[in-house]
Amino acid sequence: MPLCSMENVTKTYRLGSQTVEVLRGVSFGIEQGEFVAIIGPSGAGKTTLMNLLGCLDVPTSGRYMLSGRDMSNLTDDELSLIRNEHIGFVFQNFYLIPYATVFENVLLPTLYRDHNTNEAAKLASRLLEMVGLQERDKFRPGQLSGGEQQRVAIARAIINNPELVLADEPTGQLDSKTATEIMKILARMNQDGKAVAIITHDVNIASYAQRTIRMEDGLIV
Amino acid sequence: MKQAIQAVMAYRVRSFFCLISVALGISSIAVIVAATEGAYKRAFEIVGRFGPDSLLVIGGSEESRALGRWPKTIKLAYVEAVRQAFPTVYMVVPMTFVGDIPVSFRDKKYQTRVIGSTADYTRAWTWPVIQGSDFTEEDIKGIRNVGLIGQEVSRELFGETDPVGKYILVRRIPVQVVGVLAERGITGGGHKLDNRIVLPITTVMKKFVNETQYITAFRARFVDQHNLKAREEELRLFLRQEMRTADDQPDPFRIVSPTAIIKFLVALTGSLVAFIGIAGIICLIVAGFVLANLFLLSVKERTKEIGIRRAIGARRRDIVTQFLGESVIITSIGGIVGFILALLGSRLLTYIAEFPMYFSWKAFAVGMGLSWIVGIASGLQPASRAAQIEPIEAIRE
Repeated sequence: MPLCSMENVTKTYRLGSQTVEVLRGVSFGIEQGEFVAIIGPSGAGKTTLMNLLGCLDVPTSGRYMLSGRDMSNLTDDELSLIRNEHIGFVFQNFYLIPYATVFENVLLPTLYRDHNTNEAAKLASRLLEMVGLQERDKFRPGQLSGGEQQRVAIARAIINNPELVLADEPTGQLDSKTATEIMKILARMNQDGKAVAIITHDVNIASYAQRTIRMEDGLIV
Repeated sequence: MKQAIQAVMAYRVRSFFCLISVALGISSIAVIVAATEGAYKRAFEIVGRFGPDSLLVIGGSEESRALGRWPKTIKLAYVEAVRQAFPTVYMVVPMTFVGDIPVSFRDKKYQTRVIGSTADYTRAWTWPVIQGSDFTEEDIKGIRNVGLIGQEVSRELFGETDPVGKYILVRRIPVQVVGVLAERGITGGGHKLDNRIVLPITTVMKKFVNETQYITAFRARFVDQHNLKAREEELRLFLRQEMRTADDQPDPFRIVSPTAIIKFLVALTGSLVAFIGIAGIICLIVAGFVLANLFLLSVKERTKEIGIRRAIGARRRDIVTQFLGESVIITSIGGIVGFILALLGSRLLTYIAEFPMYFSWKAFAVGMGLSWIVGIASGLQPASRAAQIEPIEAIRE
């Protein structure tokens, strides 16, 4: 059974009186522990696909299964819980909370579930060590470089041990050397058994993936 | 919770202004509660000392008293008449006041008020003699020069030495001190009580005011305290009759009852309460609006933060809790600061105006309760606005 699968998923948005069909029947799956890259020109529907994969949004029609569960008819609270437990997000702009320390940013997802504070703190320290930022745990995001911020975001994405990590242009704001470091960290996470899906338009970045899914005009081609 | 504190700290300028306005509102409200409680406490203390079963009849109509005249209208004979006419009265004590009398002991001089009364005086006012003894019926009948002195008189004239048995000069008349009255403090109207000298009424009437009939006031205590209102009215009619007052004339005397004292004190407090109350409520409303607007602004500013929190698993209600938490933290600190301000402010008020203040857990509870209400009321709308933010909108690049 794949980790997640989409069957004939469509997504339309209403823009005033117009309806825009962003996804026009997408079917594909991601296996446990797989590393896939979703590439395509802007406007192809990559981010919308990512939002659906990440349970930030629900399909207009079709079916999305994650870990054997249908995501189409869940309540907002249920979707929140799914995101918290099963999915890790890495964004192009890092999106760390500016007034919290690095350490607290990593801990953030654990606040929204029943957790053992001590264990979560230990885990956060371990993850910061893994991304090479254990010395900076008391820093604020503003005091870090872009690459460092993204490493904090990655640590945050995996603290709840999700099966799927979604990265939307994770290297978009970084120079190529730093981008390579970030990709290596993502690749190592994948080797540790997590499925990773990255959205990119950079072919070099896509080359880290085992499989590339190309999108064009709301369809997988 | 920790997150909310951090956010409050992160936006500290905003938090500070909200906190101050809440603090001002809460402090005025806390002062009010304390003033009200203080007034009631003071009122009941005074009534307790005055005697909840007592009526005080003072000569002269209210009008004449207001004009500064003290016409003689009460005769000593009424005391006996009242005793006869009212079966439930258990004590009627006549009094004659003489003001500004020079008193001296050796080279020490003092100016004070002299009261002539009977041996029942200390019982009538529940005002015990703590050194020496009360004067007696014989002292009254014999028009003797004996007296009781208040604590302040004792301090001024005798210092640490025992005044009992010593002779003092009261307007050049030698009077033997037989007893010292307990410390009494001040009346509701602000009169000192510990500077008094009490002599037999006969002595005062004959030797000080040269008067055979009229006295200043008398005090009646009743066994049926619960009927005091009715007794007051009966006494009023009885005295009008005794004085042969025409129907169209106002009472040529005034009756002070415990309820009148409470009314007076409550009215005194009332004006202050109303003034500070309005100021306090305005402060709180303004604080609430400021808070609500700053929070709305803050929600807009922090759209991305809210989006990311939602993306990593925060439910809508977690966001509501977070923002309400922030506003309640600010207003709670405001409440505590306000309470401290109130404590300091009331020191000032008591210092300049001898105003009764009493801070209890009630003032604190009302202050904190109100600060929470302001926090929740002003935080609710921004918080629900925050919770409505869709993560995909918020984190769109």
